[in-house]
This record gives sequence, C-alpha cells and structure tokens, in this order.
Amino acid sequence: MKESHTGTSSGVLEGRRVEGMVVRRIERELYEVFIGPQHPGSGHMRIIVRLDGDIIVEADPDIGYVHRTMEKLSEVREWLKPIPLLERMTIIDACNVTLPYVNALEKLMDKKPPPRASYLRVLLCEINRVASHLYGFGIFGVFLGHSTMYMWAFGDREVFVELAEILTGARLTHTYHIPGGVRRDMPQDFPQMARRAVRYMRRRLEEYRKIFLENPVIVKRLEGVGVISRNLAADLGIVGPNVRASGIRYDVRLVEPYEVYDELEFEVPVFEEGDALARTWVRVEEIKQSLNIIEQAVDWLERHKGEVIPKEDYERLPKLHKEVYEKTGRVKLLPAHATMKVPAGKAVARGEMGRGEIIYYVESDGGTTPYRVRVVTPSARNAIVFKYVVPGHRLMDLPAIYGSIDYFPPEADR
Amino acid sequence: MNLEEVVELIRGALGDLAKEITVRKGYVEVVVNPGDVVTAATKLKELGFDHVKSVTAVDYPKESRIRVTYHVSSYLRDDLARVIVGLSVDLSRENPVMDSLVGVWRSSEFQEREVYEFFGVVFKGHPDLRPLLLIPELAEKRVLRKDFIVREESIYEGVPHRYQ
Amino acid sequence: MVLETILYLIAYPPLWQVLVVGFVGGLLLAMVAIWFERKAAARVQRRIGPYWASPRLGGFMNIVADMVRYVTQQVIIPTTVDKVAFIVTPVAMLVITILPVAFIPLSPHNLYWPVASMDYSLLVALALTTLPPLLAVVLGWASNNKFSIIGSLRESYVITAYELVAVLAILSAAASTLSFNVVHIVEAQQPLKWLALLNPIAFLAAFLAVLMSTSAFPFEIPESEHEVVAGPYTEYSGVLYALNMGGGYIRRFVYSLLIALVFLGGWAPLTPGLDPLTGLIIPSLVVLAKAAILMLVMSFLRAVYGRYRLDQALDAAWRLALPLALIGLGWSIMLAYVNLI
Repeated sequence: MKESHTGTSSGVLEGRRVEGMVVRRIERELYEVFIGPQHPGSGHMRIIVRLDGDIIVEADPDIGYVHRTMEKLSEVREWLKPIPLLERMTIIDACNVTLPYVNALEKLMDKKPPPRASYLRVLLCEINRVASHLYGFGIFGVFLGHSTMYMWAFGDREVFVELAEILTGARLTHTYHIPGGVRRDMPQDFPQMARRAVRYMRRRLEEYRKIFLENPVIVKRLEGVGVISRNLAADLGIVGPNVRASGIRYDVRLVEPYEVYDELEFEVPVFEEGDALARTWVRVEEIKQSLNIIEQAVDWLERHKGEVIPKEDYERLPKLHKEVYEKTGRVKLLPAHATMKVPAGKAVARGEMGRGEIIYYVESDGGTTPYRVRVVTPSARNAIVFKYVVPGHRLMDLPAIYGSIDYFPPEADR
Repeated sequence: MNLEEVVELIRGALGDLAKEITVRKGYVEVVVNPGDVVTAATKLKELGFDHVKSVTAVDYPKESRIRVTYHVSSYLRDDLARVIVGLSVDLSRENPVMDSLVGVWRSSEFQEREVYEFFGVVFKGHPDLRPLLLIPELAEKRVLRKDFIVREESIYEGVPHRYQ
Repeated sequence: MVLETILYLIAYPPLWQVLVVGFVGGLLLAMVAIWFERKAAARVQRRIGPYWASPRLGGFMNIVADMVRYVTQQVIIPTTVDKVAFIVTPVAMLVITILPVAFIPLSPHNLYWPVASMDYSLLVALALTTLPPLLAVVLGWASNNKFSIIGSLRESYVITAYELVAVLAILSAAASTLSFNVVHIVEAQQPLKWLALLNPIAFLAAFLAVLMSTSAFPFEIPESEHEVVAGPYTEYSGVLYALNMGGGYIRRFVYSLLIALVFLGGWAPLTPGLDPLTGLIIPSLVVLAKAAILMLVMSFLRAVYGRYRLDQALDAAWRLALPLALIGLGWSIMLAYVNLI
C-alpha cells in the first residue's frame, strides 16, 4: 500500500491533497471498483472488483460488515439462549437455522421429540423455506431491474410469514424449537389456512413463470451466466439449490433425514446446466415440493393427536403450566430449563435451510453453557463463488450471479 | 454407509497416520499429527471426501492446545455423502502453525481465514491469509480463544449520567 | 378583442413553442409520465402506488412534492469534481434537450411556426437530439467517480449504437415524402396515410432507438442501479440531480413529439383552421396527446421487463435495430417510388 499520488483512479489530481483519501496504486490496465458496502447492489458486504474493460478479472468478496459474534456469544449464554440468538443470523429462515442446533443438543442429551413435535417442526421449516425462496426471488428480481418480481415475491412471502405467525406467534423470530419438542401446538383452524395458502402459491407460481422465468430479457440475462460445473461445485463446496443446479443430488433432507423427512414424500429437483437460470428453476421446483410437504404435514397433524413435548418433560411441569398447555397448546418452560446441564460430548448436526446446508458443531463440557458452538451457514460457504466464478464475466453479470446464488450477507457473517 | 463402516474404511486408507478414530455424535473424528495432515487429507480426498463443510477450532487452555477439525464429506459419492468425517489436528496454543489444506480442498479457503483471525492459527501455504470477518485490530485479539472474556455491559453503559 | 390579443400573445410562435409546449408541456408530460410509471407499475405489482398526497388525483401531488423536495434539497458538490463542468453540464443538457422543440412545427400555417423557414426542420431537430448524450459523457467525466465513468462509458457505447438507428428510422419519413419539412411530412400523411401504418418497420426501429437513447426499460443500462449506482449521475444531488433525471424524461418527450408528427400523422385527424385556437392551440394539443400515449407506453415497459446486459443491448442495436432501420428506409423509398404517399 504505497502512497504514490493523490487522486482517484479516474484522474490524478496532482498537487491537490484531499483529506481522508487513501490512495493505492493498481495496475494500469485494470480498473478497480469497490461495490459496497454502501451500494444498491451489494448488500452488507463489499466486493472489490477489478475490471479489464467490461470484463471482471478479479473479484474479492470482503464480507464481515455485519459480524455479530454469534459463536462467542453462544459460549457465554446458557444452553437455551443461543436459540433466539442464532435465529438472528437469518431472520427470514429462522426455523431452519436453529433446528440443527436443537438437533445437536438432542443428540448430546439423548432426547427425541414426540412425532407430533417433529411434524410441527417440519411444517414450520417448509413454510420458512418457501418464504426464504420468495425473499431470494424478490432480491434477484430487483437485481435484474425487474421490479414486478420484487414486489410480487415480497407480497406473496407475506402469506407464508403470516402462516408462520399463526403457528408460532411471531412473524420472523419464531424461537419455536426447544430441546425435545416445540413451544406451541398448532391452532385448530391452521390446516385450512395452510391449504389455502398452498393453493394460492401454486397459482402464483404459474404467473411467476410467465412474467419472470420465461421473460425473454430475464432468460437472456441468466442463460449460460455463472456456470458452475459438477466438479467445480464439489470443489468449491457450495451448498443448497446452487449445488443441485449443477447436477449434484445433495439435500440433507435426503442424505441424512432429520426429524420426519424420511416419512414424507418429496422430490429433490436437480438440474444439470449449472447456470443462473438453472439455479432459479431449482428454487421454483423446491417451492412446489415444499408446498407438497406442507400439505402432507398438515394432513398428518390433523389425523394424529399427541403431545408436543416429551412425556418426562410434561410430568415435570407444575399444575398451572399443565393447565395452560392443555387449554392453549402453549408450553411454558420452567426456570430449570434455562440452567439445564448437557452431558459432555461433541456433536455435529446438519440441516437443509432454504439457501442450503447448515452445519453445527456443538461441544459440551457438562456445564450450563456450551463449550464451543461452531456454525457454518450456507451463505458462508457460498461466498467463495464470488472469488472463483465471477471472474471472466461482465460487470453486469455480477448482480445476476449474486442474486442467483441467493447470497445473504448477514447469514454469512454470523 | 453407516459410521462404523466409515471407521473401517478410514482405518484402511490412513493406516498408521490416524492416531485415534472415534465415533462421535453425528461424525467420525480422526486425529492425526500436524505433520501428517496434508498426507491424510490427500488420502481422504482420494477416498471421495471432496469438500470441507466446516473448519472448526476449539481452544483448550488447560491442556494448552488448540484442536482444529476439518469436517469433510462428499458430494460426488452418494454413500459417503451420508457421513461426516472430522479430520483433527492438535496444535500448541503458544505457536499454532499447521499446513494449509487449501491445496487439497479449495472449499476450506475462507474458513481457514476465519480460524486464522479468531484463533491465530497460522496456515502455512494458504494463498491469501487475511482476516475475513473481523477488522485487523480485532483479529489481533484472537477473540474466540477462551482467554478473551466477553465483558457484560450494564444496560446503562454509555448512557449519559443525567439520564440514569 | 382583448381575448384575441391575449390569444395572439400566447400564440406568438417562439413563446408558445419553447416556453409553453417545450418547458411547461415537457415538464407536465414528464410529471404525468413519472406518475403513470409509478401508478401503472403499482397496479401490475398489486400495490396502490402514490396515494396519500392527494387521494382524489390518484396521488399526482406526490410527484409535485418530489420536485419540491429536489429543489429544496442541499446540493452537495464533492471536492474532487471539476466544479464548472459539474454545475454547468446538467443545465446545458436540459437546455439543449429542449432546443429541438424550436424546430418542431405544431401547425401547418407558417404564421405559427417558431422559426421562419421550416424546410430543413426535421434534419435540424434530429441533429439537436443527438447532442445531449454527449453531455452525459462530459457529466460522468466531470464527476470524477468510478461509477460515473463506467456509466458514461456505457452511455457512449449506447450512443454509437442507437444514434444511427434513430436518425435513419426517422429520416426514412423524409425519403417517402421527399421533404425534410416536418409540415410537409405531416400534410402528406393526411388524413389516414400515417407512416406508422404504411411503414411499421421504420416506426418499430424508431421506437426501439428512442427506448435505448432515453435509457428506458429494458435498456436502462447507463444508470443500472446494481452495478453503477446511478451511472453518470452518481455524484449529483438536489436540484442538479432533478435536472438530470428530468432531462431524460424531456428527451423522451422530444422524441415522442417527433415520432407523433412524423409517424403518427401529427394533428390528424384534425384539419387546423386559421385563428390561434383552431390553428395552433388545438393542433398542438392533439400532437401532445399522441406524444403522451407514446411516452406512457414506454413507461409501462418498466413493469414488464428487466434490463438487458450492455453487450446484449448493443448486439440488439447493431444486429436487430440497424437492419430494421435500413429495411424501413428501403421500404420508404419504395413507398415514394410507387407514389403511395
């Protein structure tokens, strides 16, 4: 970082000292552009792009602008408290992001949720997945200048956010899972609402196809852009719809079914092309599968009654809490829950979020707080795409690739 | 393929390199010597473990060591995709240096940078070892080590006195 | 008597043309276009759009409020810019953008023409429309900002691509009517021999070229928000930014006026009288209405399309629009040859 002259890359201002300007010499032929962190197309991150004409020759993702020390904070909070904390990583996918943490806890404690609780978890996870994909679509649409897609996706996401609100009581930060069960049973009239939402969304997906996915301009922008081959995808270790668009049939719900995913019928859409368009289509197909799962889960929940917390937990509840639980389906936790101890051990749990696989490493030394929580979110693993896939494309392809991998900076920064 | 079969598979492939193979909850932990890590990683990659899911470091100040674990799995082999293998290395806490595995698994590049900034583990041969998430001043403090204490702030901290 | 004097005063051609039609009409139409753009997009996107500023007018006052905000906002002039060029260019750009209006007749009677001789009015007006984009390049350079530079670079690419198309497509009218005089071109189209109907190819090419030149969707490339923030206008704020933004709409307005005259029959189906009311004011309102419809169609495309990539847009200009314009020109010559017009 040698200071050589005062000026900006667009012109040297000899003899003019500008306060606060850091100057660095770059290669003559290259044009260095800082996209972000205050830029309409960057999100909470910075991509340092070096351009040769219109072609990107180097892209350096500079993430970390919204690092919130999730891992460190988890170490100083009691076992239950990281659940609402970790949700804040991906507030739009709050159920999926904490489920593996709870699963890891359950592995350490040898607890298993009753089937009804498992189905409720799956139900909320799929509702969240649809909402998460729609959010991604909205951002993607506006990145390509398609404001209608943005508005539609965000408007329709509202349906699923409200569905989640009816189920859990919160629009975004549900904090639904507790070790061994869920916090609340389903309301009586929930199945009808869920079915209506599913019917509505299926109809809307047709309209999305017409205005966005088969729009000639959009197709032209996406086809053959940001191609990730099967081997490259495996090499970069990217996750989620991105890896499935490259012909790799990997979905945690399929390879290591958690909760009740092995009892449900669903397909894992896989595309071979590996370009931005294929990644978009994977998301659409996944929304359809999630809608199917929502229907199945709701059907099962209607037919089977049962508890949402393990029997031994239920028996420990005082009389008043039992009454509340019987009457409203709400589980009121005892203070003892907050200070519970977890047997020493190491556990790894993974789950499939909307954006891809999330993996937790939880280590306990037998105390009241986790000894170490390591979380690797899908966006954290997808960030590498900027470095290795973006170069060689045109500058205007950057938003197309960014949107198509559905990168979410707060999730990557943790 | 279940975890026990994987243990056999890894034992066959790594032979004496593996100091210890343990089945943990949800993964198989393989501990190797810091000097052997690249060889072991290459062998695992030849087996079909083609990407790194997570690079984790855990600080044990009492035993004065830092354990770095690479959780690896497979995308291209369906049977291996079901399991996660943790390739672990114990490093000294005073001078944590190990060989970078970016040459074997490119997917570990960003996560090694993360371990570098949070724990101060230096990865020899890493192409671009800079802090990833933290600013350099903060990364100096090695914030995820156990001796960095998070100070609890009172709710009035930073509030001017006359409002308290 | 008094009324007539006032009418003649208003209809004093240079005053009417540049001030009333040019500035006021342009501004008002630009506002209507912006309002329509927001409202129509909102309707497509299942929103309401501007509303609360004036529920009865459908939120039209929202645009007025926006303008007031721009005018009263602080104008920040960064220390790194070339100050003179930075301030002068937007103003010069707006003025030059409006200039073509002075050569666009809105009445068949030479009494009401803004400049005495109109024999080459189409040529002069077209030549003037090609000037403002050059100033956009100056603007980007004066801003001394990377995004501005990239934006104006894109602008210059786009200029070279569409300029030829726009000129060729609009001049094809001259080829079929054997005159550069806009009045003759309009008269030749009476009553229903509109060139848009006789020569739809040239009309299409002209429409495409106007979309590209005024960076309307799907060709909103120089200002593409997600790579270059606001392109050449990144460093601008307050009223200077409003001038730039409004300039784009006024350019669209000028082009729409030209196309309305050249392709859409001008004041047809009306036959202008001699007095100011029927001879100038009503015909110009008819032309304005046609131009407005064109502008609204262009605005509506925002709700339907995303934006093309730069290379794709240039590709479309050279490989699709230019041949279209050439075919249109050939078609026009043929029309003149078979004496259809």
